[in-house]
Amino acid sequence: MFQRRLLRTASFRLALLYALLFGISVLLLGAVTFWSTRAALEDQLRRRIEAEMSFLQEEFRSDGIDHLVATVQERTRTPSNLDYFVLDPAGKRLAGDLPMVSGSVGWVRTKSGRDADGKERTESERIEALVSELQGGYRLGVGEDLEQVREIEDTFLTAFASALSVVLLLGIGGGLLLSAGFLRRVETITRTADAIIAGDISRRIERNGSGDDFDRLSATLNAMLDRISGLMENLRQVSTDIAHDLRTPLSRLRQGLEEARWRELTAADYRGVVEHAMEEADAILDTFSALLRIAQIEAGVRCSAFRSVDLSEVMQTVADAYAPTAEESGRTLRIDIAGGVTINGDRDLLVQLFSNLVENALHHTPQGTIVVAQLSEISTTVIAEIADNGSGIPAEERSNVLRRFYRLERSRSTPGSGLGLSMASAIAALHHGTLEIIDNAPGLRAVVRFPSSSRVS
Amino acid sequence: MGMRAPTPVRTAAGIEAMKILVIEDDRRMGAYVRKGLEEHGHVVDLAPNGRDGLFLAAGETYDVMIVDRMLPGLDGLGVVKTVRGAGVKTPILFLTTMAGIGDRVEGLEAGGDDYLVKPFAFAELLARINALARRPPMTEVLTIIRVADLEMDLIGRKVKRTGQDIALQPREFRLLEYMMRNAGRVLTRTMLLENVWEFHFDPKTNIVETHMSRLRAKIDKGFETELLETVRGSGYILRVPA
Repeated sequence: MFQRRLLRTASFRLALLYALLFGISVLLLGAVTFWSTRAALEDQLRRRIEAEMSFLQEEFRSDGIDHLVATVQERTRTPSNLDYFVLDPAGKRLAGDLPMVSGSVGWVRTKSGRDADGKERTESERIEALVSELQGGYRLGVGEDLEQVREIEDTFLTAFASALSVVLLLGIGGGLLLSAGFLRRVETITRTADAIIAGDISRRIERNGSGDDFDRLSATLNAMLDRISGLMENLRQVSTDIAHDLRTPLSRLRQGLEEARWRELTAADYRGVVEHAMEEADAILDTFSALLRIAQIEAGVRCSAFRSVDLSEVMQTVADAYAPTAEESGRTLRIDIAGGVTINGDRDLLVQLFSNLVENALHHTPQGTIVVAQLSEISTTVIAEIADNGSGIPAEERSNVLRRFYRLERSRSTPGSGLGLSMASAIAALHHGTLEIIDNAPGLRAVVRFPSSSRVS
Repeated sequence: MGMRAPTPVRTAAGIEAMKILVIEDDRRMGAYVRKGLEEHGHVVDLAPNGRDGLFLAAGETYDVMIVDRMLPGLDGLGVVKTVRGAGVKTPILFLTTMAGIGDRVEGLEAGGDDYLVKPFAFAELLARINALARRPPMTEVLTIIRVADLEMDLIGRKVKRTGQDIALQPREFRLLEYMMRNAGRVLTRTMLLENVWEFHFDPKTNIVETHMSRLRAKIDKGFETELLETVRGSGYILRVPA
């Protein structure tokens, strides 16, 4: 199985292709080398033959035919020398053992011929010879069989063939080895993915810690899986919360209606029941509406509609709107707002952000509480705070209050969906900001920070 | 949670019957709107889709059009753009589904005059089409608004009743200005939040009620007739004495 998959891996195919290309180029290179070497060798041979020919012609011219025959005879005796023949005008061999070639003059290449002793030459079939006509009808031939050249050719071809096979072997073997490594790493990822598909979302890809491409890819995939399971967990949590949180008002609604059916009611009573039912229905719709809004805000759909917003004006408007209500409920809303602070954002949503924070401070504090809305700009960061000196939240609960539907035990009785702070947090995040709920000792401080990137340049 | 529907609303005296085009694909919603409007003396044409709606809008003259954002085929935005493109100036109210946060801006940009989020209280719808149908012409630039013996100087930012100066906070001034410009019409809490505070969400605090009671204390206390009235289950109205 592994072997068959190995041959199908992309890396193996690549290695194979590479080895093939390399082999072809080696082949081409070899051919060129082969032909040029052979040509050079033959050329060298010819020049040697030519030099010998002119030397012998010179001998003949100065000392006559007898001297030439003697020289050739002497040379023929030494085996490493070239081969010769000297023929008289009648074509009779006077000296030399070069097979006689036909009557032509000049360069002759013959495939076979006869030796001086008349034996068929077998060991060499190709002879390169130069024939010239001397004065008086004599003929002189100087030649050499091409055995030497062929021997060199053979050696070359043998060496070349083994080199080529080594190249191909190395290419294919290396490719296999490389692919096996890759395949093993890919298999690890595949196995993990299969396990996750099968339902084990907690599985992660094993890393070898080398920091190479695969290791980094594994790290990224693991981080992606972490994010996905975080979101899934969040979603699961939210669905459970929604179901839980909507069941209460829905059962209250149903109870009210059921009770109305049992009892003998007057028209006025019915009216009361209907109004009560509508209140419950409105509360449920409000919750849905808030959830959808949070979902839309978290999806970041409105970023494109961002424009310059005067945050000072937004906070002032919110403070103005809530100050009379705060006063009437026995609380004080004070402001300390720096002027002219603008950020890039959505005014409607920013108004809602600060309204939610102010409402939170007004609804969950005892009478006599002082709520302060503060806006300042420290270097490039815009900091907006809604702080109160009320009863605060226990430290261990503080991180939970931004969660959807999270309500402190003591707030269960007060109206509200438990979504106000989650929405505020979502709006802050949409503006690349953060919402933090920290201890105000005593009381609570909601801090919204907008980074310099939200600033209007 | 101010409004509870459908409470029959006795709006300002002398309400005229209006001819209203409702483009709504949901049959029950369409029937509900038509029935409610007809009970209040209006004449209603109901179109179940954008194409029919467009046909009616082109052929007849209406006082107000109520258009659902989500329609099969040609959607509400498309209908309104086409109608406006044809030069029809009839006031248009968009109906949108809840929490469509970009919808309001889109709807107004397409040529809608107001928007209402479903589900809505019928009193809210009624108040809004009443406010829409009789919008004063835009060209008129007012410097002084008078309602009964109440006088508002928009340039001097002063308010007087029977010649007596009344000191108002800036937001109270805006609130009264909006009420005086719409004197005789029921204004719902949501309309006030949107127009006076520019709050496009539903605060869980009685902002409007608190401001209204303060304003009432300033303009009505010690005077013979009360101008600012609460319309139970609907909102508020600045009465124009007959």
